[in-house]
Amino acid sequence: MFQLIKSFSALKLSSNTIAKYCTYNLSYNPALLPVKKTHRKPRWVPVAKSKVFRIPKKPKLPEDEANEIRRLFNNYKNNVRSIRKYLYKKHCTIFEISSDPQEILKEFKEDLVKCHEINDKWNAEVKINREARLQKELDEELVLAEKKIEEQMLREEEMYAFTEELVRKQKEASISFITPENIDAIIDKALAEETDYNFAIYPNGEKIIGKKTRPTQETEKVVGAQ
Amino acid sequence: MPYKYIGRTHDFRGKSLWEILGNLKNFGVGRIVARNILERYPEPSYIKILKVETLPHPENESPDNQRKIRVLVEQTFRGKTSPVPVLMERISYKPDFKLIPKDEEANYCKKIESVKDTRILPRTMEFPPLLKYLVAQDILNNKGKVTNEDFQLEIAYNKRSRNVKYKIAGEGEKPTETFSMGLGKPVTLRFYKGIKLNN
Repeated sequence: MFQLIKSFSALKLSSNTIAKYCTYNLSYNPALLPVKKTHRKPRWVPVAKSKVFRIPKKPKLPEDEANEIRRLFNNYKNNVRSIRKYLYKKHCTIFEISSDPQEILKEFKEDLVKCHEINDKWNAEVKINREARLQKELDEELVLAEKKIEEQMLREEEMYAFTEELVRKQKEASISFITPENIDAIIDKALAEETDYNFAIYPNGEKIIGKKTRPTQETEKVVGAQ
Repeated sequence: MPYKYIGRTHDFRGKSLWEILGNLKNFGVGRIVARNILERYPEPSYIKILKVETLPHPENESPDNQRKIRVLVEQTFRGKTSPVPVLMERISYKPDFKLIPKDEEANYCKKIESVKDTRILPRTMEFPPLLKYLVAQDILNNKGKVTNEDFQLEIAYNKRSRNVKYKIAGEGEKPTETFSMGLGKPVTLRFYKGIKLNN
């Protein structure tokens, strides 16, 4: 009893509750007993080193004793099985069900109606959920499509601006292009404005043009060209 | 150096199947081999070699890891010969086989008529005392009168087993044996000295 009171106080119960429990009949009740544990060591623990090479002696029963033990055990199994079967038949609810086909059909129909009710209820619930889900999915898809259209338009605008810029630049550059119309004038200009590259250059970019950078005589010029 | 065995012993006596058949002409086809462990039965149990197929040595051959052999045999167990040949491989390593010499074959394989089980077992038995009292109370509360038949507990025999040899008493048939909740009829009386037996 002291143990019991101690365990109750550990649960922080009020003194009234403890007093109430103390009036209970504490006769033998298997349900209140602690769970029985096996006394074996765990499966993964190996055989003790001192017992590895121990050879247990095989029990050798006399034949009559073995027969007697077998007979008693067979009787015990037989008796217990018979009692178990009797109690099962007596208390099992399966055997209480009527074997009248009309009654079975009636029960079946009642059960079917119940099942239908449950099924309809489920279907209604599922329908509401399904419609809400489909509406939500449609809205999401519409938003996504609008977003995609906007993105596409923005991309097209960017592309148009890029091409416009490219065309403008080309047009600007095309002013200095050589065309069949102005080719003669440009050749004349090039011939007139002869460029002389015979000069030295300082690291800082200063050009030093010599006094005589070109051959004076025409023949020498021809020979030098060959 | 002779082997020194360490560890638990087994009940085998004899040689493995390869040790016997490997040393015989034509791998012993047609010969009779018996297992020592099956000599516990009064009826003869033996195998007749029909066809032999050898298998390689195991990697680490030892007394614990013997060579196997694949043998097609005509098997006779407790005097009954199997109508179809049996392929033996998994048990061929067991050192429990012995060769029956040719002149002893006829004697060894002689049929012995097994004793027929003539027992007729009872269909019902009595209840254990406390359960009997409870049953009586139950019937008295419901019907108001208890008959002798109410105290008969039906015995749960294994009716589906193929090895059933006994017979269960039918209607009006007198059983040769009786079962009760007590110690029953002892086979060996020397354990019951000074004990009062009801049956």
